[in-house]
Amino acid sequence: MASVLKFSKSFSNLRKFDNIIKTSSNKIRGAATKAEAKTVVLNVPPTRVTTLSNGLRVASEDWGSQTATVGIWIDAGSRYEDDSNNGVAHFMEHMAFKGTSKRTQGQLEIEIEDLGAQLNAYTSREQTVYYSKCLAKDVPKAIEILADIIQNAKLGESEIERERGVILREMQEVESNLQEVVFDHLHSTAYQGTPLANTILGPTANIRSINAKDLRSYLDNHYKASRVVVAGAGGINHDELVKLTEQALGSLNNNYPGKVPEIAPCRFTGSEIRIRDDSLPLAHVALAVEGAGWTDPDTLTLMVASTLLGAWDRSQASAKQNATNLARASGEGDLCHSYQSFNTCYKDTGLWGVYFVSDPLKLDDMVFNIQQEFMRLCTSVTEAEVERAKALLTANTLLQLDTTSAVCEDIGECIFVYPLDLLVITLICL
Amino acid sequence: MALQAGHKLGKALLQKNQLWNVSKNIEKCLVKQYASAELENERPKNKVTEMPPMNEPVKGLPRPVYASFKEEDQKTKVTILSNGLTVASENRFGAFCTVGVVIDSGSRYEVAYPSGISHFLEKLAFNSTKQFPNKDEMINNLEKHGGICDSQASRDTFIYAASAYTSGLSDIIQILAEATIRPQITDEELLLARQAINFELETLNMRPEQETILMDMIHAAAYSDNTLGLPKLCPAGNVEKIDRNMLMDYLSNHYSPKRIVVAGVGVEHMQLVDVVQKYFVDINPIWGKEGKIACDDSIAQYTGGFVHEECEIPQFASAGLPVLSHVVIGLESCSHQDQDFIPMCVLNIMMGGGGSFSAGGPGKGMYTRLYINVLNRYHWMYSATACNHAYSDTGLFCIHASAPPTHLRDMVEVIVKEMVAMPKNISHEELRRAKTQLQSMLLMNLESRPVMFEDIGRQVLASGQRKRPRYFIDEIEKVTQDDIVRVAKRLLSSQPAVAARGDLRKMPSLEYIQAGLISRDGRLPSGKKLSLFR
Repeated sequence: MASVLKFSKSFSNLRKFDNIIKTSSNKIRGAATKAEAKTVVLNVPPTRVTTLSNGLRVASEDWGSQTATVGIWIDAGSRYEDDSNNGVAHFMEHMAFKGTSKRTQGQLEIEIEDLGAQLNAYTSREQTVYYSKCLAKDVPKAIEILADIIQNAKLGESEIERERGVILREMQEVESNLQEVVFDHLHSTAYQGTPLANTILGPTANIRSINAKDLRSYLDNHYKASRVVVAGAGGINHDELVKLTEQALGSLNNNYPGKVPEIAPCRFTGSEIRIRDDSLPLAHVALAVEGAGWTDPDTLTLMVASTLLGAWDRSQASAKQNATNLARASGEGDLCHSYQSFNTCYKDTGLWGVYFVSDPLKLDDMVFNIQQEFMRLCTSVTEAEVERAKALLTANTLLQLDTTSAVCEDIGECIFVYPLDLLVITLICL
Repeated sequence: MALQAGHKLGKALLQKNQLWNVSKNIEKCLVKQYASAELENERPKNKVTEMPPMNEPVKGLPRPVYASFKEEDQKTKVTILSNGLTVASENRFGAFCTVGVVIDSGSRYEVAYPSGISHFLEKLAFNSTKQFPNKDEMINNLEKHGGICDSQASRDTFIYAASAYTSGLSDIIQILAEATIRPQITDEELLLARQAINFELETLNMRPEQETILMDMIHAAAYSDNTLGLPKLCPAGNVEKIDRNMLMDYLSNHYSPKRIVVAGVGVEHMQLVDVVQKYFVDINPIWGKEGKIACDDSIAQYTGGFVHEECEIPQFASAGLPVLSHVVIGLESCSHQDQDFIPMCVLNIMMGGGGSFSAGGPGKGMYTRLYINVLNRYHWMYSATACNHAYSDTGLFCIHASAPPTHLRDMVEVIVKEMVAMPKNISHEELRRAKTQLQSMLLMNLESRPVMFEDIGRQVLASGQRKRPRYFIDEIEKVTQDDIVRVAKRLLSSQPAVAARGDLRKMPSLEYIQAGLISRDGRLPSGKKLSLFR
């Protein structure tokens, strides 16, 4: 899958999306004059999307509030790395906060603190995100700062050296979180031999050796206009956001120094990793099958299926009633301390399964019950159960879109893969 | 046309040399037609869902009509019903509303009962009731409106809340009323609640975060054996002791209409008033008449003191977690109705703090005093955070810090020194920063519907009205250096309350902390011989 193709594809999506937005705004006017047969009134603002001349997309929702979240979503992450540079995407995310040609690290920090704002970033396997939560009046400042840190990072030698220590410490932190450890192992076995098997932080050897040249080349190859989305939610005027983005990021281009980087489809391999440590009181296990990619028609179906498995932990007193089958079995049989179903999507593949924490002596019973439930979903799940799961999924999705940060994140993530915002997508479920 | 598309798919597949079931895919193409460019792009799958790929619009979707919003200063509407119950609400856009019951009840009122009543009620909430003899029925009713529910007990407030589609308001209020004033509390439910509490107590001890346990301890030290000092967590010894009679007796005495506010966000006020009248006023509580025992209305007595527990943190060192000792030092602050309340909050932000290694970029208070003077200076400090708890009649300002047990004494010394320095050298920049941060924090928190619901409920319960965020923004703006000096001195005039947990071999005594707090520079009386008296 050549990424050139991918871009042209996302452009074509976007045009479609623009149409949708335009027609829907026409419809509002239309609705006033003549009754539309099939409309649905959404008590939320629309997501507006604009594509700049360099291909960068700006998407926002105006909630008219006094606070806002704006962020830069970049189609880049550890999936674009190989064994030799695994960890560079995450390293870059760290270096963005270490000063630019315009401001030192200290100036940057004081500037944000004095605004009462927050500046944050994260790297996943397929995305790198920088975002800021601030008062609505400070959005111009926030966009300027975000654009500065992704374009003009200084990448000084001494800062890079210092950051190695910080990232290694972060690694320690991740390693003490057993859930994260288990999910890293799950990826490394399910996608063995492909870039998705790599961790986001990268191996220690790479963290120790990544240098300014690696970081610079990573920036030159991935922080490209057509792979960037600026998203905003809260007290945001879309036209103003477009203008601000044009000023701040209008000069971002789509020229690659060499070959256009491409991502190969990642092969799923059914396999397992077991690490036995009898000194730990509990076993932590993730069990998954291959799911669907973001754009796959089955993605929503799998989300519903995931909801049918549900989640449970022992502190919920009443799980014996009205819970999913697996939750009931877990509670009645004292099979585990907690479990949660997951459906992790990537561009072309996904992991669908259950993560659980249980007493080592209960592992057999728990896995038996999970498998039984997997099979039951294939053969004899009832219509009523599915309807209930659909309603739950829709409600939970909508409920989560409660803060400007949540909405902004939703927009930023969705624009990459869907031409419609998730709100409308979930309406399909209804 | 359809056949042609199928043909293209077949070709695309052959080009990729992949052994997929071509004919099966062609069948699907007869149903849905794709542009060839996208086909070549897509990894063919044996999809089962009769829908286009997620990046294409679905045919036949209803047309959306969106809302648009103006900056509008909403008002909180308050109505008091005939029996004394208060209804307060504010409208807001969005398909969802959050409504709930906020009650003047919690562990501070448990003096006449075995401690843990509120903890039990929290676990028992939303079980079977008079109208819904079986819990499933209630939850099904809630889910019909996309609803979720939750209960939360704090020291002075008990909350039952639900979020659901606004259209389901009437059913939701019915469920809330049933859960609040008409619960059955069966033997089986009690048994499950006991299990859940036991499990929670067990996990709290296992987890590296000590916050919940330490907060119970510092309150016990600050308000010895009275009101807010009573434990929020059910003591292990009471788990088997608490029974239905005690719970019902407590409910009938404390869940009286005058102590209840029904609050809502995203609802029409009059509609809410109508349904609350129907389910909270017109139908009696399950206990019939109100209880006769007067509620404990004592004013919290701040005593100060020392509560400690020698234990291992973490319980399982093999998980790679650092071994830490935790200390919380508290001082009496003020009630949320006090004129010093806002400056106290600004001082809290000015002290700030957090973890020495915490995720997140600028904006977490990197230039607050506990970062600059403590975390950035002493590499062995693991965390140091200031917090301020405000209640209707008192308040507790504290600094929570953790470090390896070998540095316990140094840590206490550093924290005491920072407390003594609170009224000193307040720069214009740090005050400005703290004020802006408090203002933005307030507005950011209120973005979330449940937070706003809680704010309305608590404010109306405490004072009968809700002050607008605007009011607080303005009040914060007015705070001066002199205000900070005044409240800091007020804090330092109180006796310290101290809670400590972990390996405490190097823990200085309460007397030394007291001596440190009244000394000019916050230095603990030094000299090695002092350790003899530890």
